[in-house]
Formats: sequence, C-alpha cells, structure tokens
Amino acid sequence: MTGEVPLNTPGRDELAAEYALGVLSGAEREHAEKLALTDREFALAVARWQQTLSPLADEIAGTPPPAAVKQALERRLSGFPDAREARWYDSLLLWRAVALAASVAALMLGFALVSRDTGPGPLIAAINTEAGAAQYVAHVGPGGRTLTLARLDDKVAPAAGRDHELWLVEGGNAPVSLGVIGRSAKSRLTVPAGLAAKIAAGAILAISDEPLGGSPTGKATGPVIALGPVRDL
Amino acid sequence: MKLALNIPGGRRKAAADGIGERRVNTSAGDGISDLIGRVSLGDRAAFSALYDRTSAKLFGVSLRILRERSQAQDALQETYVKVWRNASLFSGMGQSPMSWLIAIARNQAIDMLRARGRPAADLDEAATVEDAAPDPEQAALAGDEARRLALCLGELPAERAGALRAAYMEGYSYEELASRYKVPLNTMRTWLRRGLIGLRECLERGGVR
Repeated sequence: MTGEVPLNTPGRDELAAEYALGVLSGAEREHAEKLALTDREFALAVARWQQTLSPLADEIAGTPPPAAVKQALERRLSGFPDAREARWYDSLLLWRAVALAASVAALMLGFALVSRDTGPGPLIAAINTEAGAAQYVAHVGPGGRTLTLARLDDKVAPAAGRDHELWLVEGGNAPVSLGVIGRSAKSRLTVPAGLAAKIAAGAILAISDEPLGGSPTGKATGPVIALGPVRDL
Repeated sequence: MKLALNIPGGRRKAAADGIGERRVNTSAGDGISDLIGRVSLGDRAAFSALYDRTSAKLFGVSLRILRERSQAQDALQETYVKVWRNASLFSGMGQSPMSWLIAIARNQAIDMLRARGRPAADLDEAATVEDAAPDPEQAALAGDEARRLALCLGELPAERAGALRAAYMEGYSYEELASRYKVPLNTMRTWLRRGLIGLRECLERGGVR
C-alpha cells in the first residue's frame, strides 16, 4: 500500500477502519458498504485498513472446501463468456447470440453492416450479463472512432442517480474508460484518437455501474454488470 | 522485543516451508495478482487456478466466522462469484491479492452471520480461544507483516487487543463484543477506534518504540 489517503471529513477513516474490521451492523454497515461502492476515497481507505489487518488471517488455518463448491460455481458461471478458451468461440449459442445481436443492432440502429471504407473495423461486441444474454450491442465504425451502443433490455438501464460507463480492457492493462453511456436505449460515443487502435478483435468491452456522471477517478468503482469480447464483423 | 525479529536463516526457511501446508501468507501474492488480472478478462482457466490456490484459505476464514460447514460453503461460493464479477476492480485498490480476497470472504461471511444472527451459545463458548495472542512459536512462523502486527497489538491494552482480534477472526459486531466484554457499547467503540488508530501509528513507526 503506498501513499496517504486524504479523507476530508473527520471520522471517515475511522468508519473505514470499523467497516474493514467488520464490527458494524445494520444501517451503519449498509451505509459504509454503500460509501465503499460509490466513494473512491473511502473505498481506498477501506482497502488500506483491510491490508493493515490482513496478517491476522495468517493465524487462520486453511481448510480445503468440498469439491461440490467448485462444481456448483462452475455451473453458475458457465453462462458467462470465456475470453480465452477457444472452445467458447465454437459455441453455437454464442454465434446465435452474436447473429441475433448483429441483426438486432442492424434493425435498431439502421447500420449498414457492410464496410464501405478501408481501415480498421467495423467491429461488433455483444455485451453480456452474467446470465449470458446480450444486453448491449456495441458497433465500432470503420476507423475505430465512432462507437454506437444499443441497450437491448431496459431492465439493465441504470438506476436513478447512477450511470453506466463503458470500459475497454485490452492486453492485460487496467480498464480504460470510453465514456459514460447515455440513458437512452441508443447512444453514440466518440473514441479518443489514442484508443481507437486498441479497440480490436480480442479486446473486451465492459460496462460498470457508476455514480452519476461516471467514475470520479478514471477507474471503475462500481460492479461490472456486463462484458463481452470485440469481434471482427 | 527486537530479538523476535531476528530469525536465523534455517528457521526462516522452515517457516517459509510451513506456508504451503497451513498458511497462505497474506503478503505473498506471487502469481495470484496475475490470475486475478486474467480472471478480469473472463478467463475461466485462470479462475479455476485461482480457486485451487486460494479456496482453502478463504474457506478457513469463512468457517471461522460462520462455524457451520454448509453455511461456510455457501459463503465461499458467493465469495468466488464476487471475485469473478469484480476482478477488474482489484488492480486499482493497491492491495495485496490475498488481502483483497480475504476481505471479500470476510464481508460475505459477516453479511450472512448478521442476517441469520449468532446463536447466543456461540458468544459465551467462543470467549477463550480467539483472544489469545499467538504463542511465540506461531509468531515466529508468521510472516514479517504478521510479526509486526502482533508486536503492535501487544502494545495495546490486553482487552482491546483481544476484542480487536476477536472482531477480525470471528466477525463479532460492536454489540456482541460489548456484551461479551461486559462494557457499554460506547466504551467498546472507543476501545476499538483507539485500538485501530494506535495499531496504525505503531505500524507506521515500524513497530518498535
């Protein structure tokens, strides 16, 4: 852990410490939990306390869990795309999803899906929630500068007071923000010039739930609600 | 006090060898960070490897708090679902990977414990074990960080150190601690807040007065 976390409000570092230790309950615990999700400085203070206290866990002996836990986990996560295993790309279900997503995108957005220009793109990504259904479709225009997103299911629209933010995860680097997604079902983002080349087949687009206006820190602070790999169209 | 920090080389080696068996040192994160990074990209094989390397520790942590095997199993499953979903948030937190994982496991277990309530018998029966500071042998086997933390806990009044350890290991709430130590709730708050701040001050000056 490096650097000091300046916490302007008195008592906030104490609250972070109490939350990290786990002694809060009821409304106090909920309040701290919410802060940890929405307030980057508070989240970092909590992380710092977790780090400070974690050697206490050295005294707790490891106990191998029964195999059933891992099996249940694998069943639960099996609907989620696997970015690495080649087998995944052979999945009929996936191709159906991509085909459906592409046609829905074409219908909804009126794209000409055939490239007219040379240069990188067009690219497409079906952005899936954990359940595996495509909830957003992203289309990156030729040249990589224009990214259009269509939300396919309004159930995943951001809650009041929250925004969804789009992230690019590429080459094992930390996710880079591509901007806040508009609240309407279709939105268009302009990709910064330096990032256009990085949006290529194999990169991952992810959507996180953030405070209004997007992450205040440039890093995702809320849960990732959906993600999917970019593919050549 | 200072002597305790000097462990002969052979002893240190023995200590390191012990890690694989019983302990995953919380500061030892070689390879686990990489696995979490790959998990954040949706890599299922990395997730499987991460589970294999860390689940015994996290199960131990969950079991210690929940004390009931089937509940600890549920907690462990939820913990790894959160790891899968939130792996992309790890790199920004500046935390060691084991500290991050253990925090997720503890929060999950504590949430379940608070939701179901702790049987009153647990409160009394548990009193002795977790308050005890590690014996010298245990302290010697622990990593540098754990040794510094143990030294700094030793500087706190014994009851406060005991309450702090009990809170961390067993997931006690302020209310439960107040009832166990038979002090008013506000007294317990003051104990732990001052204890935590004292702990950090001690760690920041290197654990040696």
